[in-house]
Amino acid sequence: MRELRRAAAVALAIARKDATAELRGRQAAGSTLFFAALVLLLFGFALGPDSRRLTDAAPGLLWLAIVFGGLLTVSRLHQLEADDGALEQLALYPVDRRAVYAGKALAGAAAMLVLGGLLLPVVAILYAIPIGAAWLPLLAAVLLGAIGFAAVGTAYAGLTVRLRAREVMLPLLMLPIVAPLLLAAVKATGAALTGDPLGELGSWLQLLAAFDVIMLVVGAGTYGFLLEE
Amino acid sequence: MPQTTIYVAPRFPGTLGTTPLAVATVELARLFGRSAALAGVSVNVEVGRTVALLGPNGAGKTTLLRLCATAIRPSFGSLAIDGLDALRHPEQIRGRVAYLSHATGHYDDLSAAENLRFAATMFGWGAAEGAAVCDEALAGVGLDPVAQDRVGTFSAGMRKRLALARMLVARPSLVLLDEPHAALDDEGMALVDQLLGQWHEAGVTVLVASHQAERVARMADGAIRLDGGLVAEVTGAGVSLGSSVPTLTPQVAATGMDR
Repeated sequence: MRELRRAAAVALAIARKDATAELRGRQAAGSTLFFAALVLLLFGFALGPDSRRLTDAAPGLLWLAIVFGGLLTVSRLHQLEADDGALEQLALYPVDRRAVYAGKALAGAAAMLVLGGLLLPVVAILYAIPIGAAWLPLLAAVLLGAIGFAAVGTAYAGLTVRLRAREVMLPLLMLPIVAPLLLAAVKATGAALTGDPLGELGSWLQLLAAFDVIMLVVGAGTYGFLLEE
Repeated sequence: MPQTTIYVAPRFPGTLGTTPLAVATVELARLFGRSAALAGVSVNVEVGRTVALLGPNGAGKTTLLRLCATAIRPSFGSLAIDGLDALRHPEQIRGRVAYLSHATGHYDDLSAAENLRFAATMFGWGAAEGAAVCDEALAGVGLDPVAQDRVGTFSAGMRKRLALARMLVARPSLVLLDEPHAALDDEGMALVDQLLGQWHEAGVTVLVASHQAERVARMADGAIRLDGGLVAEVTGAGVSLGSSVPTLTPQVAATGMDR
């Protein structure tokens, strides 16, 4: 029990530290949001003014924007550690490395949740989709998607942070792994936006939750080795 | 008289007393790719001693310190810190060791106080105790007037002082210092000397790698000189060559037997 409390304190301290650094470096966080919103806008231009087409494509486009923005976010959260040898110092603290993983994943999931939460109204405005009635299932999809993406992203960012070509390697390694998450999140978002006529929303959310649990367990088990040099 | 070549292990060169060992290495080696940064080092350092690590660039000083800090794993050989095997008990060792490396490991967007409080949490201090320990450590390194300033605005010397403060918060039994005087002004260098004295008085073991051989020699009980990843010389008190795997030294001996 005492060890669990200590692990929770460590994870929260890491997440708080990352959140503080992220908020103070507003330029980077703001740029990520602007970039993701721009992606949505450009997709809108590419698909043309057909509102039906935009409505059909909206869940996929939203999640692609979240994934692109999320790649930048998880990469940046580890870049914080790469500057001035902070990652080595983090690895040298006498703490359970699963707690370090939990802290980094928590910060990543929170940042992704904020990103997804802010992009939802952008989608609603750009593609003229009413989301008011579906806000709860949409939020559940974004929350579960954010956790899964952060669970995978934290592990892979830990793996690639020391590489010179990390900006290229992170998406190359990560995108195939998050493909099931992307599929389930798009389907869940689509079902939520259309009022779930086929009653499939619950199944997609369950799939997302299962993906999250598996990736969190795998990530926590491997992250300690990734910190080793 | 016929001669026969036999192989014997070298005589144990050190005279160890009963003092427990803070650091004990046996044929410790670390490879980076095909290059051996450390090529088989067997040394013992007694608890409570201050030992200088000397040698030219590339001698293996930083690698030895990083191995002791558990920042990297040995490629061959063994390493024990306070009797704990580095491969089996790295987490326990991390609770006893504080390491000052070339990179200071701070977060630029956080203030000095925030950086230190984060470290205090990671070292296991509670909120109230941690705050008091951090304030004391900041005052100890002379950074209390700039405690609320972001570390991104600090000079290299101030960053090093903050790293020293983090070591004070850790309350270690083994201190590992890699070029602690580098990037510091005269006042900063005097601070390092003062901390070395404090740690020595408190019975903390210190391994300090430095090119400032004379300055460090004044503070140190003994010294290990490395060259090319091997021990070139061990001098002074509290440090000795360790027991090693027999190195098969050829020795020509007369057998006295005619064949």
